[in-house]
Amino acid sequence: MLGGLRVLDLGPGIAPSFCAKMLADYGAEVIKVEPPGNGDPARGMGPFVGDDPHLEKSIPFLYLNTGKWGVSLDYSCDTGLGILHQLLDEADVLVEGFPPSVTGGSGISYSELSRSHPRLVVTSVTPFGQDGPYRDFQATDIITCAMSGLMYHSGDSDREPLRNALDQSLYVAGANAAAATLVAVFARLTSGEGQHVDVSVSECLAAHLVQPVPYYNYMGATKGRRPVRGSGFEELMPARDGYVVPSVQGSQPWETVADLIGLEELHDPRFASGAGRIAHGEELKALLVEGLAQWDRLPLFLASGERRLVFGMAQDAGDLVACPHLEARGFYHEVDHPVAGSATYPGMGAALSDYPQRTPSPAPLLGEHNSEVFGAKLGYDADELAALRYAGVI
Amino acid sequence: MSGRPLENIRVVDLSRVFAMPFAGANLADLGAEVIKIDTCQAQFMETTRTITGPFPDNQPGELWWEQGGTFQTLNRGKRSLTLDLRSDEAQAILKELVSVSDIVLENFTPRVMARFGLDYASLRAVKPDLIMVSNTGYGHSGPWSSFGAMASALEPTHGTGAFMGYLEDNESGSLRSGNVPNKMGNSYTDFLATWTALVSVMAALLHRHETGRGTWVDLAMYQAGASFIGEGLLAYSFNGERARRMGNRHSSMAPHGCFPCFGEDQWVTIAVRDDEDWLAFCRAIGASELAADPRYATTQQRIEKQDELESIVSNWTRQLTSYEVMEILQCVGVPAGPVFTAGQSLADPHFRHRGFFEQVTHPAETGLGDKAYIGRGWKFSSSTAGILGPAPLLGESNDYALRQVLGKTEDQISVLANANTIGTEPVGGRPPSQVPMDTQVELGWVAAFDPDFVG
Repeated sequence: MLGGLRVLDLGPGIAPSFCAKMLADYGAEVIKVEPPGNGDPARGMGPFVGDDPHLEKSIPFLYLNTGKWGVSLDYSCDTGLGILHQLLDEADVLVEGFPPSVTGGSGISYSELSRSHPRLVVTSVTPFGQDGPYRDFQATDIITCAMSGLMYHSGDSDREPLRNALDQSLYVAGANAAAATLVAVFARLTSGEGQHVDVSVSECLAAHLVQPVPYYNYMGATKGRRPVRGSGFEELMPARDGYVVPSVQGSQPWETVADLIGLEELHDPRFASGAGRIAHGEELKALLVEGLAQWDRLPLFLASGERRLVFGMAQDAGDLVACPHLEARGFYHEVDHPVAGSATYPGMGAALSDYPQRTPSPAPLLGEHNSEVFGAKLGYDADELAALRYAGVI
Repeated sequence: MSGRPLENIRVVDLSRVFAMPFAGANLADLGAEVIKIDTCQAQFMETTRTITGPFPDNQPGELWWEQGGTFQTLNRGKRSLTLDLRSDEAQAILKELVSVSDIVLENFTPRVMARFGLDYASLRAVKPDLIMVSNTGYGHSGPWSSFGAMASALEPTHGTGAFMGYLEDNESGSLRSGNVPNKMGNSYTDFLATWTALVSVMAALLHRHETGRGTWVDLAMYQAGASFIGEGLLAYSFNGERARRMGNRHSSMAPHGCFPCFGEDQWVTIAVRDDEDWLAFCRAIGASELAADPRYATTQQRIEKQDELESIVSNWTRQLTSYEVMEILQCVGVPAGPVFTAGQSLADPHFRHRGFFEQVTHPAETGLGDKAYIGRGWKFSSSTAGILGPAPLLGESNDYALRQVLGKTEDQISVLANANTIGTEPVGGRPPSQVPMDTQVELGWVAAFDPDFVG
């Protein structure tokens, strides 16, 4: 879809790399530019394939960088910066996630790049954005989850807030950055000019709070975490082989729900209305626990779907990789990596007509495409490349 | 500044509830003309117009269908055309509208869209380069495609609960990884669909510009959700790791967690990334003996001893506000930040400086006054983006859409009005009953009520 869009991905870490991965999934040509030596710091992030801490075996890195070319380049020196600018001559988009204090004056700040490359879209993904009092604050995922406000609502109401799963603030920011980057590319069709896209990780996740914010400024209420009391519907509840989410949503009458769970006492008319389920919540929860104990997750989930109910079930990574539905939708791809080996990789979130899902190339080895990119593309000959390698520039 | 990037794009927004309406709201912020297809038949109105709320002071007023705070957030800056899609006339009007639009957003089940004759094949017949997002729980293909879904039940189904859960005590009294899944809640999956839709729509607009071809986006929230935890799925593929529930701890940082602060239900997060952070942390809390203690010198040692380190950290944080902890630790370069409540976010100086919450003035008859709404996590150096105005009143743009856009006559419009195909007030329906605030507090839906809040 994005055939012809040329993207440079400077990383580091998760958010900018996920942004560039999404662009690659939609067909953009992405070159990952990493510092020589240890490469993108994501290469040091576990877990590792076979628990072997190796630069080419970081599972997060392997996931985040499929479908990209990879070069190594030290652009902190003048020679390297010159080569980066040559790459930028051939690029539409630069994605980076360095602290604003680091990019300033380094030759890769937007104010510098826009002078030499006015058509370039530069997307910067940082914890708190390019301005404001927290601009230079240090953060990891737990900090941005907390300061987005989402974490306050995660977990149980009688315990401490619970960090969101798997660096979610950074993945959400990466997806937002991909969307905003494409908006800027679209705007360039009419303006002819590039621009700076300033993405704040904490704000991307804060944008999820379409209920908690009006709860506060419409009625002074701080929405709570998962309530410990109540009927148990719409919450994770134990079943025989794990956890399920029983639900009364989906426009079906209560009888359908009671029938499905299969406990006669649930047909009590006191439970038939929302108000009744609130008033008799504890009693209902005890019955629900008793009824669900007769069910395994998957049969209950399938029976719910067939009755047009919307129950959920807690699945782990093994369940998802074996899921026949995702398999039927072509979500998974076998990708073979020269060092890490072959594995089943998850694919794109959406299926697009006119653009069949394709198996992406594996994440690049550090500097894997130096010859293709610096040689074939930029025209450096073998002697020049050897000199650059000797000088530690590539 | 140049203009809004999507100024010449028209969107027909048939979608309901959270995920796609919010995608439509973002497109409106970017300048697209988003025509929301509403209905004046109260029984078919979307729940965010009727029951979701929250209503001002928890009291739905005379115009209750205009007053929900979540509805306002999700539908800001749109126009509203009411159509009763059960009628052939309404379906014909919708097709006419699609023929002069660029994008359709919808989240009906595959069955409903086909019944209305509004599936992608039918709409592409009237608009060959149409871009359409069909958002469903499980997508339009595959064995589960007929299943309905709600984000609250979808979230653990697509796997977040495998990577989120409290630590549990083991026999020896120390903490170990948990077996019980937990949730982010707040319809988490809906927003993953929102962002996936935005990326897809923008890619499709660029594709249309290059090739003249449209795109149908078959967006399955289950699949979109799984793509956001892809790293966890790949860890299973390579290592057979099925789940990782570490509470607020981290596999390569310690101390790392969420600690209690001075005040009721106040928390701060801290991440000590490496030895340099650890020394800075010890100095900042005035515990030079800890910095010198060889038992805590390396990350590996601190991970092994984190039960005891966490009680040391908590004893310090408990005496301070969450903002004080942030300031003390950020001064020495250690990641730390409060767990914000919505009230704290609205008042926070950084969010205010960035203009993240945008002020909207509502029509007087809604009684909503001026309110702040969440914006977007991105800013442009030259394009304009921002909330254009409140959510539309029901049927506010009937005349605009039917007369100006589609060229209908007065007579044609009054026929539609007489049949209640169009209208500006609900037919049937009544103000939703609200659970009283003290009951909501008792049930734990609301953690705290602040009678002196600033609206």
